[in-house]
Amino acid sequence: MTVIPLATHFHGDFVIKLLPAESTHTMDEVASAAAANAVGIHVPDQPGRTLRVRKQGADTPYPRTTTVADAGLEPTECVEIYFE
Amino acid sequence: MALLERAQWYDIARSTDWTPRYVKQDELFPPELSGGEGLPDDVWATYDEPYKISYREYVDIQRQKDAGAYSVKAALERADLYNKADPGWISILKEHYAAVALVEYGASLQESRFVRWSKAPGMRNMATFGMLDEIRHGQIQLYFPHEYINKDRQFEWSHASMFSNNWVSLGARHFFDDVMMTRDAVSTSVFANFSFETGFTNLQFIGLSGDAAKAGDFTFSKLIQSIQSDEARHAQLGTPLLQMLIENGQKEEAQKKIDIAFWRSYRLFTILSGIPMDYYVPLENREDSFKEFMEEWIVTQFMRSLEDLGLSKPWYWDIFLRDISEHHHGQHLGTYSWRPTLWWNPAAGVSPEDRDWLEEKYPGWNATFGKVWDVMIDNFVHDRMDRTVPGTLPIICNVSQLPIVGTPSQTLRDISIVHEGRRYHFASEVDKWIFEDDPERYRHQKNLVDRFLGGDIQPADLGGVLAYMGLGSVGPGGDDAHGFAWVDTYRRKLAATA
Repeated sequence: MTVIPLATHFHGDFVIKLLPAESTHTMDEVASAAAANAVGIHVPDQPGRTLRVRKQGADTPYPRTTTVADAGLEPTECVEIYFE
Repeated sequence: MALLERAQWYDIARSTDWTPRYVKQDELFPPELSGGEGLPDDVWATYDEPYKISYREYVDIQRQKDAGAYSVKAALERADLYNKADPGWISILKEHYAAVALVEYGASLQESRFVRWSKAPGMRNMATFGMLDEIRHGQIQLYFPHEYINKDRQFEWSHASMFSNNWVSLGARHFFDDVMMTRDAVSTSVFANFSFETGFTNLQFIGLSGDAAKAGDFTFSKLIQSIQSDEARHAQLGTPLLQMLIENGQKEEAQKKIDIAFWRSYRLFTILSGIPMDYYVPLENREDSFKEFMEEWIVTQFMRSLEDLGLSKPWYWDIFLRDISEHHHGQHLGTYSWRPTLWWNPAAGVSPEDRDWLEEKYPGWNATFGKVWDVMIDNFVHDRMDRTVPGTLPIICNVSQLPIVGTPSQTLRDISIVHEGRRYHFASEVDKWIFEDDPERYRHQKNLVDRFLGGDIQPADLGGVLAYMGLGSVGPGGDDAHGFAWVDTYRRKLAATA
């Protein structure tokens, strides 16, 4: 397990935020941790909807169980988190 | 005995060039310090400073300026204007003095380097006065806030900020070291005197002086006027150099220097001017928006000075025109959200009346930045204060050193590159262009997040970050300027709809 800090763009937010993710974290865990820094702080909650993670600029999200290591994300690389 | 008119002796007195016999020309004026490579030796004597003054005249005028500023200060202290001023205005004073006062001493070193290393006698002469100007600016802008320390310890930052690792100070130092302290005399003058001073400080001080008078702070207004009249003179040091560069086939290089300095200056001013003008100045005293100010003073007037020289708008002009409507709104949200990291108390500036003004000046504000404020206001109204300060850091641009912000759901985007194994982040395509033009200049600097991730900040939490930045030890960090009194309006609205 290695800490891989990510740059996170939570849709609806105004600023890119630092997220100290771990290599073993799944994308659902990344989304949840990113939401803790954004939802109810700078972005309104959307209950009942699922959070997804994609590489910045990608068309499709990562599978929800893919880990940070499996996704090949490098330190401070930017991912987008959004409500599906 | 009658004195000669200045014009009868000026040229002889300032033509201090001589032919070195014991050292080579390049030893007397090392290219890395003097600059202007490729310019013929005989052009330096043709440098014709547009503003000529004698030492006798200079001293007399400066004495009058100081007498005026200090006497206004003494008279108005008795009127206790400080305690009657809006807290938003006090925050502008704190932000300004800490970001500017010590940098003025840096500027005196910049000018003293011209005095020694410039190959143009006219520039050496004028820079001598510029050097004295900047010492005066440093002294007066340390002395005035010093009087306020007994009222509020945050004014200690006026002296301390540039010695600290506060993130705003890191950004300001990075900028000023780049444009003012680490380039040759010719480049520095184009970067600092022409682009920064003519383009921004000179005009900014006009706007700030007007805002001060409208807010009733005639002490600050007089101080700023006193400084601005110096800036208007020594800012012109760069123009003759630009003419020399253009006439000798270096127009492209001159344009690039301006393009870099203009963007870097603009981005710093979004914090120093953009936020205060649109959010801190009390609404009843607020007239022009930051965007309108930029359009009048920068877009129109500075561009005219470029065109007069035969130069062009920077290549990123369209990006810039869009940016003046949005970037500072994001930076305001950022500084307010992370307010414990500031040395001043930010004014939120988002009462319903403020929002109407913002919407009028920036159509669409409520549907973008306003949406974020809605979430924050909901927390304030319901006393969820723990959710009003984020538990993480923003990603910071490796050129501007400012958080990477954008319009929510529209323009927010991280721009990054990997250079020699390290990932660098940029807040815009222009910042990326500046880095890629000269990566060796910028690549070693570590911004606050780089330092955090590199283990320089311990403990690695918000408390560690605040201690690293000097908050708490130099003086207290920021909190809402008005003690959240503006939230009451929203509480009443909520109660009325309950």
